[in-house]
Amino acid sequence: MIYRVYVEFKVGILDPEAEAIKRTINQLGIKSLKNISKGKFFDIEFSKEDNYSDIERISKDLLSNPIIENFKIVKK
Amino acid sequence: MKKKISIILFPGSNCDRDLENAIIKCLKIKPNFIWHNESHIKDPGIIFLPGGFSFGDYLRAGILATKSPAINELIRLAKKGVPVVGICNGFQILTECKLLDGALIKNTSQLFNCSKVSLKIENTKSNFLKNFKKEIVEYPIAHSQGRFFIDKDNLNKLYDNNLVAFKYSSPMGDINKEFNPNGSIDNIAGIFNKKKNILGLMPHPERAIDKFTSQDGINFFKSMEDFL
Repeated sequence: MIYRVYVEFKVGILDPEAEAIKRTINQLGIKSLKNISKGKFFDIEFSKEDNYSDIERISKDLLSNPIIENFKIVKK
Repeated sequence: MKKKISIILFPGSNCDRDLENAIIKCLKIKPNFIWHNESHIKDPGIIFLPGGFSFGDYLRAGILATKSPAINELIRLAKKGVPVVGICNGFQILTECKLLDGALIKNTSQLFNCSKVSLKIENTKSNFLKNFKKEIVEYPIAHSQGRFFIDKDNLNKLYDNNLVAFKYSSPMGDINKEFNPNGSIDNIAGIFNKKKNILGLMPHPERAIDKFTSQDGINFFKSMEDFL
């Protein structure tokens, strides 16, 4: 079983890296850009089926910081 | 009983020798180094978490260190009231293991900021900072993930409980955006926990103990004599 965990900043937290990317996209001449947010993902494979409680624990306690980030778990 | 100070070391810690020098110079104590995979800290005295890049700052600064056996032991001891000080990466570790509120994230500038800053001491009544007579000190900073963030409710709780220790300021003590080196909320540079036995700060007092830089760090360490 492989899970993909997406982690991204919560709304309202300034991500300077996303802002820098936004400025660069503007420099490419693309005028319609409204906003950009970025995140990261992790593919985590288990040897057994049904490890949802483990992946939830990993996502909450390690991969994300609940003060600044949200996470989403997707089965691959 | 002999006075003790412990410094927990991680792969990637790099301010431990500066911290050792500062402690020897200011408190006349040779600290014990504790390797991160030690699960028992006997007779810890004050525990310091030094600056650096524990575990390469991978994932988020400080997070991988929080799963070390020595940090499990530190959490147990801190909850019993043992004094703990986290400087720079040590502060990041303390927020990641939830002993201190808030989070430390990438500087607004995106840059690693290495400079000397002025700091206003917000709370001279704590055991950690009670030696301070003057309100403004100068310490160096050296970090890229030092922007203190906390949500509004918890920020209010920090103020209500008088838990803000340091704020970035002008040399005259003005607190504004111009003198905020990393985008921290309300210029916050250091905080206490509610019991005030844990202090975390991004600036480096251990690098402000000689006449070539600043000597304002000497009082930082001497203030801690009462904890020993």
